[in-house]
Amino acid sequence: MTCAEFQRVLPYIIETGGNADEEQHLRDCQICSDLVADLKYIADQAKLLVPMEEPSPRVWEGIRGSLEREGLVKPARARGRLLGFQHWGPLPWVASLAALALILFGVFLFQRAQVEPSTISEPAGSASVSQPAVSLQTVSIDRDDDQLLQQMTTSRPAMMSNFRDNLKQVNAAIADARQAVQQNPDDSEARESLIRAYQQKAMLYEMATRSLQ
Amino acid sequence: MLNITRGAALLVALVLALGAAAAEKKEFRYRVAPGASVSVVNDFGPVILRPSSGGQVIVAATSHSNKIEVDCSRNGNRVDVRTRVLQKGTPEETRVDYDVQVPPDASIILHTATGPVKVQSLGGDLNIDADTARIELSDLSNGHVRVRSVSGPVVLANLRNSYVEVNSVSGAVTLNQVAGKMVSVSTTAAPIQYSGDFGGGGAYSLSSHSGNIDVALPATASVDITARTVNGSVQNDFPFRPLAHPTFADTQGRSFAGTSNSGASSVRLRTFSGTIRVKKQ
Repeated sequence: MTCAEFQRVLPYIIETGGNADEEQHLRDCQICSDLVADLKYIADQAKLLVPMEEPSPRVWEGIRGSLEREGLVKPARARGRLLGFQHWGPLPWVASLAALALILFGVFLFQRAQVEPSTISEPAGSASVSQPAVSLQTVSIDRDDDQLLQQMTTSRPAMMSNFRDNLKQVNAAIADARQAVQQNPDDSEARESLIRAYQQKAMLYEMATRSLQ
Repeated sequence: MLNITRGAALLVALVLALGAAAAEKKEFRYRVAPGASVSVVNDFGPVILRPSSGGQVIVAATSHSNKIEVDCSRNGNRVDVRTRVLQKGTPEETRVDYDVQVPPDASIILHTATGPVKVQSLGGDLNIDADTARIELSDLSNGHVRVRSVSGPVVLANLRNSYVEVNSVSGAVTLNQVAGKMVSVSTTAAPIQYSGDFGGGGAYSLSSHSGNIDVALPATASVDITARTVNGSVQNDFPFRPLAHPTFADTQGRSFAGTSNSGASSVRLRTFSGTIRVKKQ
């Protein structure tokens, strides 16, 4: 099994576990193993953001419906756990779905970064906590963003350039926060900023793909 | 020859007259039971939502060309209002102006691209998605209010006892006298301004990645407040007392925490690189 094959099925197996080939690949491949560890980290942080007041069930049904319509959620295969990835067992369904949405998003972003390395520029070598923000000029849109915008040229052409500009904004925010987390993994505020940035990007995708016709 | 020219001129005048007649106003009325839901989908054009009386939903729609049609229907206790584009056209050609009156307890779902949107004096749940529309909500109470905006400004005024959630990428968010059990505002690159007393014993969370957060509260506000930034700065000009049980140490210029009066509401201000400013009204 190649990395591309593994990452293609990862959104569907990450919660319920893979088959023998998939689990063997995870044992053998450092890159995919690191990816699963990163996504587990995101999922753990998402749990911390479960709101004090639970949103209306209508909200979560809507999210679930959107994920199913987009083909991002399929009926789970009844298998064991993907290596070391803990099932969300006793957590409320709402936290699981929020974490799943973030994981799926993280997988797609990682896959695009593997194929087309980001043009994000790294700041010159300081080891201090305070790093200059990633410049908007150096942040690009990735392949998924581009595909989304291509769809908008036919479905919502008047809004396309606005969405492009705002995708760059959220990508810059993700890059900023990711940099801060990498430099200070214990910084809870940086982690929270990263998750908020991913949530905003997920919101943009959902709003771009809704039909007004 | 003269007759042909006159005929052509009459024909042109007739076509123009028909085109103008396509800019028309329609009205739909439906009687609904308590707890009705109303959805409005309109890409271009203003949408006003205000209360009706007598359990009615009244939709007044003004279109500006014959390239669109207004589709209004009722199914049970649900009214759907949708602008359908029949032929591709400019935003001005496909624009419809809506003035919708609904029972005060109705639940509203509104999708628009450019709006603008104005909602006033309602008490039901409100769910608005907008791209560049300016959104103004005023005098709302008791409902769940959720607003998602890409780049349009969002202005909330005089919301009481409401659950409020606002997400905006680059549209500025302004809250004036907004109070409730839960108020959550998040932006990526837009400023957030809050003016009020954070009343109601609620949980307030204002967060922005690179936008600034400006808070002005009166001396009578009863809050436990924490403010933190990763790479931005924090300025406080309000005379808070130290928290009895702080969860983090104050860092000069990067965080502070404090309490005022009995600390009935919790207020959480967070940015990644924006500036947080708190001052007394």
